[in-house]
Amino acid sequence: MIRSAPSSIVFRAGQVRRIASAAGKDYGRLPHSNSPIVSKLKFFNAVSGDGNTIPTYRVLDGVGKPLEGAELPEIDRALARKVYEHMQLLPTLDTVLYNVQRQGKISFYMTSHGEEATIIGSAAALELDDEVLGGHGYPLPPVFALTSFNRAIPRNRGSSLAYGLDNVMAQCFGNEEDTASKGKQMPVHLSSPKYHFHTISSPLATQIPQAAGVAYALRRIPSRRSRSIAACYFGEGAASEGDFHAGLLMASTIPSPALFIARNNGFAISTPSSEQFYGDGIASRGPGYGIHTIRVDGNDVLAVMSAVKEARKRCLEEGRAVLIEAMTYRVGHHSTSDDSFAYRARAEVEDWKKIDNPITRFRLFLESQGWWDAQAEEELKDRLKADVMKAFKRAESLPKPELKELFTDVYGGEEPWNLKEQRAELQGLLRKYGNEWEPWKAEIGRFRNKARDLID
Amino acid sequence: MLTANIKRSARTARKAISHIVRCNSSAVEPPPAGGHLPSVSNSQLLRSTRDAALRSPGIRWTDEDDSGPANIVGGRETRKMNTYQAVRDAMSIALMKDDTAVVFGEDVAFGGVFRCTMGLAEEFGRERVFNTPLTEQGIAGFGIGMALMGHTAIAEIQFSDYIFPAFDQIVNEAAKVRYRSGGSYNVGGLTIRTPTMSVGHGGLYHSQSPEAFFMGAAGLKVVIPRSPIQAKGLLLGAIRDPNPVIFLEPKILYRSAVEQVPIDDFSLPLGSAETLVPGNDCTLLTWGTPVYHCETALHLLASPPPSLEKHIPTSLRSASVELIDLRSILPWDVQTVEESVKRTGRLVIVHEAGMTAGAGAEISAEIQKRCFLKLNAPVSRVTGWDLPVGLQFEKFIIPDALRIVDALVKTLSY
Repeated sequence: MIRSAPSSIVFRAGQVRRIASAAGKDYGRLPHSNSPIVSKLKFFNAVSGDGNTIPTYRVLDGVGKPLEGAELPEIDRALARKVYEHMQLLPTLDTVLYNVQRQGKISFYMTSHGEEATIIGSAAALELDDEVLGGHGYPLPPVFALTSFNRAIPRNRGSSLAYGLDNVMAQCFGNEEDTASKGKQMPVHLSSPKYHFHTISSPLATQIPQAAGVAYALRRIPSRRSRSIAACYFGEGAASEGDFHAGLLMASTIPSPALFIARNNGFAISTPSSEQFYGDGIASRGPGYGIHTIRVDGNDVLAVMSAVKEARKRCLEEGRAVLIEAMTYRVGHHSTSDDSFAYRARAEVEDWKKIDNPITRFRLFLESQGWWDAQAEEELKDRLKADVMKAFKRAESLPKPELKELFTDVYGGEEPWNLKEQRAELQGLLRKYGNEWEPWKAEIGRFRNKARDLID
Repeated sequence: MLTANIKRSARTARKAISHIVRCNSSAVEPPPAGGHLPSVSNSQLLRSTRDAALRSPGIRWTDEDDSGPANIVGGRETRKMNTYQAVRDAMSIALMKDDTAVVFGEDVAFGGVFRCTMGLAEEFGRERVFNTPLTEQGIAGFGIGMALMGHTAIAEIQFSDYIFPAFDQIVNEAAKVRYRSGGSYNVGGLTIRTPTMSVGHGGLYHSQSPEAFFMGAAGLKVVIPRSPIQAKGLLLGAIRDPNPVIFLEPKILYRSAVEQVPIDDFSLPLGSAETLVPGNDCTLLTWGTPVYHCETALHLLASPPPSLEKHIPTSLRSASVELIDLRSILPWDVQTVEESVKRTGRLVIVHEAGMTAGAGAEISAEIQKRCFLKLNAPVSRVTGWDLPVGLQFEKFIIPDALRIVDALVKTLSY
């Protein structure tokens, strides 16, 4: 190894600098870097200088007691109860829709059991006009939380939580009220410009670089600059896609107020996170892109709220991206297409449900504050179940959209000739065979107006 | 001319159809919604006996050299398998016989979301059968790297709808390595398996048929099997082919298509179509899942149910339609198709992908050039519409037997 000669001189930016030889002294600079020059051969493989694992921020312990020195987010009885009610709504909705899928009434569903604190805590800390980009795997909850959370809620709908349920159900059933995709997407692929919730794609991680672009556009809109951020949700599995790396790189290099919320729930379908990455989770990657990063206990709703609130503030103040890694555990199966007991022990899941249930943890906190009791719990569960069942029955009873929607929204502006001709061809086939070909006849009856819109 | 053809071939047609009718009259399962029609589960195209399986056309036993007589079937055994079991069987043989072979992809270690790799990790160890992170470009690039070292890389992309992040690696790298290195490097050891086509409720991102996207990538091969025997033989052929192969497995057939599959090591030829039903009046060309819709359409044509009778002219019911499974999309077997169309004078192409720039576009252009003076009708394409596959509308987007029989009637009576 060649040591620098003690008397060597470098010329940089018009300066003449003398390079000292003793350890810890200034050896000068490289042309395009602030990297200090050292004489020791030393590799590193950690974000922290001392090689420790990145810590996890937590406010409430497992039984809902604030940790010593932890600062609670601003929260009063009303807000706390609202957060809790939303956390309870998720499993209520999940249980019904999971069973509905099992009965063959919808084609697919994904639950979020065990991740209620991350979903509701983050949604509660966002503003209604923040742009939200969700992904396949975690599509439903953010929009639901947002649509029902930060809005003045019409009281005549029976209960505050019922707002948004009909929309969610309509999309899952793909019925005529499905404004999110007009029957085109699989269940739990929502979208709502009204609530700034961008359309969900099944391909993983595609929303991550898009969030950078969305955030950059926000900077360029005078009324929204310094006011709105782009909040981008994805799982630790999606963070393996090239789009994750591309997205964080774009958001940091072209400064954009994007908040990346990675939900590390331990599994991507069957693949445990130990096979998804070898480094220190997702959080370790943020500093690699020069992005402010925090790892938070995703089962602690107050920690999530605090972290997202602070992250949001930083996004706006600096006009730059922030990364949050929320540590949680996927209690449910990946989706209705998955039986997770094929790759993990039932006991492991049951144990985790008991050891660390985010809903229980927060309920214990509420009870300790005198904001909740057994009676309130019972009333809430009955009410949520009734609301969900009502929305489900309504959605189930509605027909599919008009059949002509099959050809809509391919292009804006003038429709190309091939689509015009193909629609006419299908129209001709339906007129000719619609009443006679059993598979079509049965299907036509399920659409609004019995497909007359296309046939006539 | 048509009438003459029909008379000549009436016997063949009746023979082919009679199998289907017999099969259905004794079917145990309840009739499908469309009435007593063949479907995948009772298809006559599936080889359900040992003898039929062992006599699959083009089968080549790997333990035989070329010198011996073909079709030695004595002593060979078969086992009832569905398509995912046959795919698994092929990979098991590849892993057993080739120590450089590895199998990898998302969720592969626990058996894969379609169960194609079930038990392989336990049998061959996690060094050879392993999970990858969720990165299709990573999976493809990794496989290319292993193949560059002369190893056998069998990669899985979980759905062909998700192959596009790997498009650059596949089209710019795998396909072009041999050419750009003047033949000094190649990735012939790479096979990328991926489930394809619709299942009826997959929506935009679980229903696509991307075969035509790879059709212009010279240097690649693209293969789509229709059944368990085909899957095993073509997959082993693909793994051992000196070129990178995209192997698209129709996902609805994983469980529904069942055959007696020879348990020995065998391959079926790439680049070669198979004529499933011989005929003289019209050529019906397809691949993958629609093979079975075509079979149903032949049945509808020959003996339409009462509700459709008025739409199927009596004169056409004895038409003899030649059904061809293309099997390889790139390179595709132009000789077999050309020979057939020159005989029949008519061609109907069926695929699930959209019409515009679908594989049918390439085929019809080439066939009309070669068979121009022999054609009695324009080449017809029955395809998905030029649309994403909207979930609630799938029954009206993906071509079914009715649309095929309608095209046959129009083409035969042109």
